[in-house]
Amino acid sequence: MPDPIADLLARLPLWMENTVILLGALLPVLVIGALVLRGFAIWPLLSALLRRQVWVSVVFTMLIAVSIGLGVGLIAQERGLRQGTARAADKFELVIAAPGSEITAMLAAVYLQPSAIPLIDGPTYAQVAAHPNADLVAPLAFGDSYENAPVVGSTPAFVDYLSEGLAEGRVFATETEAIAGARTPLAVGDSFTPQHGQGNEAEGAHGGFEYQVVGRMPLTGSPWDRAYIVPAESVWMVHGLANGHAPGWDGTVGGPFDPDYFPGTPAALVKADSLGGAYVMQAQFNTDRTMALFPGTVLSRLHALMGDIRQVMSILAIVTQVLVTVGVLAGLMMLTRLLARRLALLRALGAPRRFNFALTWSYAVTLIVLGAGLGLALGVLLTRAISGVITDRTDILVTASLGWSELHLVGAFVSLTALLALIPAWLTMTRPVVRDLRG
Amino acid sequence: MTGISLSISDLEVTGQGGRRILSVPRLEVPAGTAVAVRGPSGAGKSTLLYALAGIIAPSRGCITWGDTDIAGLDDSGRAAFRRGTVGFIFQEHLLFEELSALGNAGVTALYAPRRDRRRIRDSAEGLLTRFGLGKSAARRSDTFSGGERQRIAVVRALAGDAPVILADEPTASLDRANADALADDLMRLARDDGRTLVAVSHDPSLHDRADRVIDVRDGQLELPEAQNA
Repeated sequence: MPDPIADLLARLPLWMENTVILLGALLPVLVIGALVLRGFAIWPLLSALLRRQVWVSVVFTMLIAVSIGLGVGLIAQERGLRQGTARAADKFELVIAAPGSEITAMLAAVYLQPSAIPLIDGPTYAQVAAHPNADLVAPLAFGDSYENAPVVGSTPAFVDYLSEGLAEGRVFATETEAIAGARTPLAVGDSFTPQHGQGNEAEGAHGGFEYQVVGRMPLTGSPWDRAYIVPAESVWMVHGLANGHAPGWDGTVGGPFDPDYFPGTPAALVKADSLGGAYVMQAQFNTDRTMALFPGTVLSRLHALMGDIRQVMSILAIVTQVLVTVGVLAGLMMLTRLLARRLALLRALGAPRRFNFALTWSYAVTLIVLGAGLGLALGVLLTRAISGVITDRTDILVTASLGWSELHLVGAFVSLTALLALIPAWLTMTRPVVRDLRG
Repeated sequence: MTGISLSISDLEVTGQGGRRILSVPRLEVPAGTAVAVRGPSGAGKSTLLYALAGIIAPSRGCITWGDTDIAGLDDSGRAAFRRGTVGFIFQEHLLFEELSALGNAGVTALYAPRRDRRRIRDSAEGLLTRFGLGKSAARRSDTFSGGERQRIAVVRALAGDAPVILADEPTASLDRANADALADDLMRLARDDGRTLVAVSHDPSLHDRADRVIDVRDGQLELPEAQNA
């Protein structure tokens, strides 16, 4: 059955659609506000009330702000993390590895997480490299490191593809040259000796072998920023293996590799000539000897799992915010008892009951709106801080920022709590005027 | 300004448990009269005043101001009556400390119909000047002395141009000179502006200035038969 509202929204530009949704979320508070405040000039007494209860107002506002800030901050962070991980995998269109866990292969190839992965042999690699739909095929030879940073063997073509132009220097041309990631401490001209293994499992240095950094990658927003890329030939050589080329090799690093002298690679990056070509290759290399995976697809499955968590987080965020606000409204109920004499005075002077209702409600809503506004600002700060920490720890560039969904969430929160604020406002109307007037 | 008359018949106000706390079989007050109400504490003076303002609903009888029997009105109707007809002066000033003198004096404008707001504010400003507070109209009310605060409360009661002024111990917190000055002002308001004034007070100087004095004792009005005519 067609939904005319959904159809109408779908035809609007995105910003307008989001604005309409936000206004829709805020509509209840706007309608209630218009009805409650109609005919009254509430501000002088409202500001007097805020000034009289300044510390109480500040505490209540901050409680709301912190709960909103944490809620929207965490949701925005989760989205930023999803986008960051997807962005980091952008260049890794198709990865071919030996059969095993797709997730392990993706984590190793894209995010450089140390893993023990079986190798693809020379003939298989040659088949992949010779495929008519392959624009670029490069081995990804992990396993070495330098000061906890991965040292990955590959080809000059891979460096060109990943970097889209180096930030500094040139691509390696010999087996003793290296490219430094954008966030590594070494500068062009520096030398280093690789260690066997990665992370806690790193063993001794490959003695007698030294790389010289000849180029520097631009920032990619991925763990490759903290890695060193070296010729695959040198990785094989330092491990005492064949260098991928037949005897008489002229020393030019990179493919093509000779299948008979190809020692094996844990994974190969493939860039196909087209999307269709990528699917053709993915289908052809999902065999008993190889596994072809789209990192984007594997990531989507992980994100789908995270999607459920996101929903839980959103619900928890709203529940937390509502609980805090209920606490604040309970506090307001007690506060209205302290204000009872003033409210009774207004009634004795002839103010309609609705005026006291409007005054109490607008006081509560002022705290809620101020808290929501501050909460959004706090959410932005929190998001930036957490993004920085995650980027620092994972090297995945997370640039989380508050988006429309957070604004919609806060809009709905304001409306819901403005509805709840009708309760203490209503209670002020039921108080005995004479008794309150006598104090 | 034209005051309005007061007519009470068969009035009874009961408290908790149905205990009778005020009984007025009959009382007539012509428009523009200044009435002082006196009696010992707990006699029912303030209850009478609150009943006359419609703040307390009587359990029986009629309180007719002009043509309106406020005893027959519901809470909203009585509040509307107060807005349009009654200026109330409370014993302890009862001001909003965070508001200025002018803000307090014109506070009724905040819930008055839009068309009346300017008039109330202008009236409050003029009355503050008349009561010697014009130059400090913008000062917070909690910076004023007790006498000045009471004058602000009087201005608040008058700013709406109400034909009825009800005052609960208006001079209680003032020194002699200020009390006399305020008593003079209240009587002048009744006589010159033609308002009907009912002031509950222990202050003999206010009794001396009033057109009529009514005694209240044990919830009963004691007044000569001639005054009821």
